[in-house]
Amino acid sequence: MAKMSKLLSLVLTGTLAISLTACGGSKSDDGSTSSTGSSSNTSEKNITITFQNIYPDPTDPKNQLMNKLVKQYETDHPNIKIELDSLNTDQQKLKLKTQAASKEMPDITVVNPSAQMKPFVDAKLLAPLNDMLDQNGLKDTFQDGLLDWYSFDGNTYALPDGNNIAVVYYNKELFDQAGVKVPTTFEEMLDVVKTLKSKGIQPMAIGEKDSWTGSFLFMNMLLRTNNGPGFLQDVLDKKKTFEDPAFVEAVNAFESLVQAGAFQDGATSFDYNAGENLFKTGKAAMYFMGTWATGGIETSSVNGKVGVFKFPTINGKGNPDEFMLAPGSAFAISADSKHLEETKAFLNWFMMSFPKEAFEAKGAVGIGQKVDGDFKAAGYSDMAMEVLNLFKEVKGGDLAFDNTMNPATAQVHLTSIQNLFAQKKDAAEVAKEHQAAFEENNK
Amino acid sequence: MNVLKVSRLTIAAFVLPSLIIYIGIVFVPIIVSMYSGLLDWNGIGDPKFIGLENFKNLFFHDPVFWPAVKRTLMFAVFSMAEIPIALLVAILLKRYIRRPNFLVSSYFLPVILSVVIVGQLWKTIYNPASMGGMLNQVLEAIGLGSWTHSWLTDPSVAMYSLYFVALWQYLGYHTLIQYTGILNVPEEIYEAARIDGAEGFTADRYITFPNIIPIFKISIVLAFIGSLQSFDMIMVMTGGGPAHATDVISTHMYNMSFLSMKYGYGSSIATFLVILCLFATFLINLLFNKLEKRFS
Repeated sequence: MAKMSKLLSLVLTGTLAISLTACGGSKSDDGSTSSTGSSSNTSEKNITITFQNIYPDPTDPKNQLMNKLVKQYETDHPNIKIELDSLNTDQQKLKLKTQAASKEMPDITVVNPSAQMKPFVDAKLLAPLNDMLDQNGLKDTFQDGLLDWYSFDGNTYALPDGNNIAVVYYNKELFDQAGVKVPTTFEEMLDVVKTLKSKGIQPMAIGEKDSWTGSFLFMNMLLRTNNGPGFLQDVLDKKKTFEDPAFVEAVNAFESLVQAGAFQDGATSFDYNAGENLFKTGKAAMYFMGTWATGGIETSSVNGKVGVFKFPTINGKGNPDEFMLAPGSAFAISADSKHLEETKAFLNWFMMSFPKEAFEAKGAVGIGQKVDGDFKAAGYSDMAMEVLNLFKEVKGGDLAFDNTMNPATAQVHLTSIQNLFAQKKDAAEVAKEHQAAFEENNK
Repeated sequence: MNVLKVSRLTIAAFVLPSLIIYIGIVFVPIIVSMYSGLLDWNGIGDPKFIGLENFKNLFFHDPVFWPAVKRTLMFAVFSMAEIPIALLVAILLKRYIRRPNFLVSSYFLPVILSVVIVGQLWKTIYNPASMGGMLNQVLEAIGLGSWTHSWLTDPSVAMYSLYFVALWQYLGYHTLIQYTGILNVPEEIYEAARIDGAEGFTADRYITFPNIIPIFKISIVLAFIGSLQSFDMIMVMTGGGPAHATDVISTHMYNMSFLSMKYGYGSSIATFLVILCLFATFLINLLFNKLEKRFS
């Protein structure tokens, strides 16, 4: 007995990585495999399309919208069944990787832009969607230039559901209580933090257990100290290194914010939702996040008290109209899909219907497609209008670190920034750490 | 074999199904995993065979690896150090409590709770006082305000906070095992010893302990192996952070395989872990064989 459990334990340890792959795999295999036949033939056959998505929350407008569209499509095409596989973002990322490793990808899945989806494209797992984009004029519904983040060598591989920018949300009531105004420079922002702190108000909230949150803020600072976008691209092109003064200055600025006590105690044990909840329950005065958070804040208890402002200049550098850009997660089609044509037809229809439905479900702030309609008249909140107006002022910007650099380098960066919350570190050393990781993983 | 009066073929026929399953779900994955440890592979694209390169990087160039190994071994040491305490609790229960079943069950309760629940519970307890953290609030209330810490986010204490939760959770488990062991020691031996004048802890030293060495060994092995593969609790509470301060071998393996997308590198860590477990089990067996000989 003892021996058995010992062995069992050993096995469990050694094969953890393997066993994780076992959770993958809902494959669509009913219906025959002939996607080569003429369309009139195939339309007679019963077909199941698996649709992996990241809208598991039934209270999320996007979940309702997806269910509605899927039901409608199934009614219109009785021979097609669409099987939903709704997962949280992190679970979906993991599941897709394991499915990809065993070449059992769902027909439709979700990928993230640029560097994050590149391994999938390189492994030829995604189907090019150029032909499908030309049908029904789908291509023109997307915002200009947005599809570039999902295109490699002239082929577009995924269709984004969102296009967001990073802003600072602030609680007007708490700002009034402390008698502070919206800062226009980083130095003023530090003063605001200190004043709020002295009045016993938590200045900023962050969910740094999910380390991308801190990185997102840091990258916005780098966008300022670098006096414009493109720092990471320059590093990739070997025109600059991480030991560049702009990077060091950004680290210093970031540390000064942490040292001023801007973030809640124990920030690194708060996950994304817990961090956001501090702001949404009125316990923190400022919250730096992508505009996708707008919907959630609107349905929280601080609705109506919240405004937004652009991240300010640092030491007079940078342009506040340049933002952290966050082209959203995007729908892609598996290259090995057994029903490639049908899947493309469905996704085409789905994306064509997406903007109108999202607009009606009040979920159209920050979607990746052009929307016809008067937001104000449709009953969108003042904060949503403010965010929409910021969109009009966007003059370029940068992508998040993990969308630009390969995953291994990105992990080192994320950990390095997370460490700044826990202990003060010399900026030059942080820069050196980044450079070493970059060189190690880009051989 | 002949004692069983069945042919070897019959034996083989009956053993075969489980043997196949066992090999299929135990040995094949280990071998596959060891092989992936020799690859430069992101888990998706085309793998490249690079021999022992991963291991070279792991042992000589990875700043996270050795500290993670150290933490894992510390974890094991703490877990094993807990067993004598569990034994003591079991002895006290047996001696002073007439119907200890209720107490034993209560001690055992944390074990059946899901690790996620335990993790979330302790996360809340460890929170800063301003966020409603119980531990810090209690410390402040009794005038030990200077002892408060951000238990999970201060790199110098975070790992110890995690050890403590694991010890808390599994104390009942080992107490139960030891307690059952003690119940199996025949009462007559104690009676005879009493006549000879051996009572209390003297009796424990010369009767209880030698009799439950096999049980003690089970506990030690379980504690050791269990702590080598501790993963879920750390993932729930800190995710290895802040900045690797609470990374152990298994979380490092996970991060490398799935977050950094170095699947081959992660597999080489898995291989190391398997070998470490085998080696440790071998060592523990050796030690206990000696111990058993000494006491019998």
